[in-house]
Amino acid sequence: MSKPNMQFSKIRLSRRSFLKASAASAGWLMLPGLGMHPSWAQDTRVLRVRDYGDPQSLDPGIASNLYEEHVNAAVHNKLIAYKPGTKWEWQLEAAQSIEQLDPTHIKFVLKPGITFTNGFGEMTAEDVKFSYERIIDPELKSPIKGDWATLASVDVTDRYSGIIVLSKPFQPLWMTTLPYMGGNIVSKKAVEAAGGKFAAMPSCFSGPYVIKEREPKQRTVLARNPEWKGAPAAFDEIHIFPIDDEKTAEMGFEAGDLDYTRVSMSSYKNLKKKPPKNSVVEKYPSLYYVWLGMNMEHPKLSDERVRRAVQYAVDIPSILEAAYDGVADPATGYVPPGLVGHRPDTLVPFKADFAKAKALLAEAGYPDGIDLDLEVRNKAVYIAAGQVIQAVAAQAGIRMTLNLHDSGSFWSLGDESKGDRWKKLQLVLNRFSSAPDPHYAAQWFTKEQVGVWNWERFKNPEYNQLYEQALAEADKDKRDQMYRRMQELMEASGAYRFITHEAVPVIYTDRIIPALRPDGMPLLRYFTTA
Amino acid sequence: MLFYLLKRVGLAVVIVVVAVVLLYSMIHVVPGDPASVILGPRATPEMKQELHKLMGLDRPFVVQVVSFLGKVARGDLGMDFFSQRPVAEIVFKQLDETLVLVLASITWAMLLGIPLGCYSAVFRNTFSDKLVGVFSIGVIAVPSFVVALYSLLFFAVTLQWLPAIGAGESGQLLDQARHLILPAFAIGLGWVGYIARLVRASMLEVLNENHIRRARAFGLPETTIVFHYALKLAILPTVTLLGTGIGRLISSAVFAEIVFARPGIGKLIFDSVVSRNYPLVMGAVVVSTVLFVLSTTISDSINAMLDPRVRERL
Amino acid sequence: MNQIREIFFRLRNEPMGIFGLVLVLLVVACAVFAPFLVTHDPNALDIAHRLAGPSFDHWMGTDQLGRDVFSRVVMGSRIAVWVALVTVSLSLGIGLVLGMMAGYGPKWMDSGLLLLFDTLRSFPTIMFALALVTVFGPSLQTVIIVIVATTFPVYGRMVRTQTQALAGNEFIVAEEAMGAGMMRVLGVHILPNIVGPLFIVASMDIPVVITIEAGLSFLGVGVRPPTPSWGAILNDGYAYIRNTPWIIIFGGIPLIVTTLGFTFLGESMRDMFDPKLRKDL
Repeated sequence: MSKPNMQFSKIRLSRRSFLKASAASAGWLMLPGLGMHPSWAQDTRVLRVRDYGDPQSLDPGIASNLYEEHVNAAVHNKLIAYKPGTKWEWQLEAAQSIEQLDPTHIKFVLKPGITFTNGFGEMTAEDVKFSYERIIDPELKSPIKGDWATLASVDVTDRYSGIIVLSKPFQPLWMTTLPYMGGNIVSKKAVEAAGGKFAAMPSCFSGPYVIKEREPKQRTVLARNPEWKGAPAAFDEIHIFPIDDEKTAEMGFEAGDLDYTRVSMSSYKNLKKKPPKNSVVEKYPSLYYVWLGMNMEHPKLSDERVRRAVQYAVDIPSILEAAYDGVADPATGYVPPGLVGHRPDTLVPFKADFAKAKALLAEAGYPDGIDLDLEVRNKAVYIAAGQVIQAVAAQAGIRMTLNLHDSGSFWSLGDESKGDRWKKLQLVLNRFSSAPDPHYAAQWFTKEQVGVWNWERFKNPEYNQLYEQALAEADKDKRDQMYRRMQELMEASGAYRFITHEAVPVIYTDRIIPALRPDGMPLLRYFTTA
Repeated sequence: MLFYLLKRVGLAVVIVVVAVVLLYSMIHVVPGDPASVILGPRATPEMKQELHKLMGLDRPFVVQVVSFLGKVARGDLGMDFFSQRPVAEIVFKQLDETLVLVLASITWAMLLGIPLGCYSAVFRNTFSDKLVGVFSIGVIAVPSFVVALYSLLFFAVTLQWLPAIGAGESGQLLDQARHLILPAFAIGLGWVGYIARLVRASMLEVLNENHIRRARAFGLPETTIVFHYALKLAILPTVTLLGTGIGRLISSAVFAEIVFARPGIGKLIFDSVVSRNYPLVMGAVVVSTVLFVLSTTISDSINAMLDPRVRERL
Repeated sequence: MNQIREIFFRLRNEPMGIFGLVLVLLVVACAVFAPFLVTHDPNALDIAHRLAGPSFDHWMGTDQLGRDVFSRVVMGSRIAVWVALVTVSLSLGIGLVLGMMAGYGPKWMDSGLLLLFDTLRSFPTIMFALALVTVFGPSLQTVIIVIVATTFPVYGRMVRTQTQALAGNEFIVAEEAMGAGMMRVLGVHILPNIVGPLFIVASMDIPVVITIEAGLSFLGVGVRPPTPSWGAILNDGYAYIRNTPWIIIFGGIPLIVTTLGFTFLGESMRDMFDPKLRKDL
């Protein structure tokens, strides 16, 4: 316990034990806990964060999960990247300059001197061309192909500069493609040497950190990139722990095992009131959207009046209070406040209207009420929300049976390629993640997505038409109108009852200064020490 | 004896094969698709199909089972499509964590259970013997996950004496040991009772045997008799109990691993069932079933060696 | 009637047994009279008073949806007792039939059934349960199937051993020589002889069965919400363990009381009637 040369985490362990022990015997150990860290200078600084999933694929061309992007964003570079802060903005990363020449041409110039590790040399415009064009290459079967849907080519003009050429204008490019998953630049040489894609572990990196170690299901370790020439990385190592359960992560944080984690909405108020020692609790608006979906093709729900009855029987305020602890606000659609396309209001009021629901049911031929199945994912917050929906809807004569599903089962409920289950699907409490452009959420509700991700089987020609138009529309106000109308069409079909965008409460130790996107998600490379 | 062993091992192999086939067929009628989970929300139908082909899920069921068994026989558990690593590597890594936990639990249970049993046997039919008896039955009865939850609540959440989650920093023994205490306590508590009762019973039997009586006649003190002569004999049944208990141990390890968010084979199986990660489920199940069958086989064989009557019963 | 009086008479000298009996009666009474004991509708939401601490109105506080924990715990006893009754009698029945078939039937049947028993027993219970739950989806029926599938092999093996031992007895051999049919031998001579010890083992299985149900519901793969199973209450409490510990505390107590009660009672009865039992297993 008294070896002077200790690791960061060891010291914190001692601090914890110290708090219980007598003060005099080990007083110096408390220094790091007080926010002074002379020992950091000579020791390993480790940042320990929790993410909700374990990276599956670490090739940026194939990765499509947020927790993979969190790693990739720290070890690779993009032309532009999200700016930490409370507004959705981008800043230059690998690009020295970037400009839109016309709706389909974007010119970029790379910063010289960014190198790939393992001797793969300097990053050039060739690498940019390769990285973006491979995503639309049918051979790669990239899940993020849609992000580059209208990419025609990247034309290299010289060693550092080039032009991104689009076949059609594509508005989401600046907010959800370039600074997001589709924007990572990899080394052409390295990927080709690896046979077209990185299998388990990329062979080279260019960011301030490199992936040092992968222990599946246990942790991912990033280490400082010695070849990085930009603003120096603040930590020697970043340990990322995959912990699915937020409550577990909270306990881990309180036990001193983590420096930053998202916490559950139900704990936010208590944590805010009584934060653990030396910690900061904050809440961010989220991009997620939660809704109750109805399968329009199920015999029981094919009558629009029944669907509307369900809409009126769902009481949003009580769901928000009970399942989200009053921390989240109601949603009007899939676009959260602050982004283009946000609807100010809904057709059906947030508060349930039992008389109206009953009247609609009676009109549809169910004067004695109706029995419906509600499919719910097996996580505390959805189970709570499901039970509230069930209890409240009963007052309108809608008797629901709750079926719980683990994620493997849940995510294939409405999938036509997975047998006949989609035919039996009635109500589903669903939640999708999104990105800071309405297009990202809008894409799942087109006609083409029926039986894939559009489980409500909502088919509306006007929706599809608007969806195509909005992609190319450069005028912000017009885009805004279009996305509003699209969400209105969804609600008017009766098949959707939008519930909430949730909220992202996070907690971190005051030893670090986190760098977060406006929705509270970590931009690990910009994390620093306090 | 050799014949018995051969028969027993043969049976063990058959059990493993039947178990695999059974599980394989169950897994394949399960609704849910690993592709949606592996590929994430943005998977297209074509990509899913591609993955199915890669995972061999498009082949007829029988072909899948046979080829899987063939690979297992060659010691190959296949690849995990999530992390692109050999299943065996992942499973054995997690198995280590579980074995450490199980070993720690059993060790402290024996350290406490054996002396308790001896004490009970020496002071048989006294009030304290009865007290130990009631205690033993009591701890056997209480569900281990309730013990886990209560100890998490009191020692980690309320008193904050011990860490609540995880297995500790790898390479830092002290930290890992601290993370081990609560889960090992929860799993081991019931075994203290088992072992105490078993040691007491076999000790009483041994103490009645002739050579012990003779030792007593020579005037050796009771404690010397108990600890020097009787204990060695009385401890044997405990060892065989551990063999048959491994299944129970793994089951309670699942709960301890989930409550304390520890890595381990139980949590691995739980997580991979939930995400429909078939290669991992199968690998983990095969390994733990083999482990289970192996330990029962060994303990049965030891039993048979000690007690010829058992041999005939098979 | 005499036998029951005999049991009570002998129990008088077994303080542990009496204690167990009292606890069991408490739980059973709770289950039987649950509708009269509850102070609130166990599934009624009261969102304004969610996560409230124990009070005069809510003796054990409320959960995250404002439901009365006391009423849920009381109603939970019905689930526990019901699951125990149904599964133990099903397992007993299946084990009895298959075990006698194995013990008395032809050699191939014996080997086949023995293999089935040993295979089912060779899965760690919880894994087997998880696999089954994913097939059928979580519900009370699935829980019952899981428990029966994992417990009947124990009875089966035990009945087989006992049947084989009895079948070799002189009086059975004599009966057979006199031309008694299989049904008669099994029904009249073997069954009555093995049923007694079997009941004691079964009664000792009750706490095990209740634990499995609670465990599955705790993992979220048991009963459907909002059914108030004790395991489900613990699961609710686990999510709020830091700020509202009473849900876990009060959710765990009935499980401890029940398992202790049945175990104490079962142990005492076994000691009284058949001290050697189970050693053969």
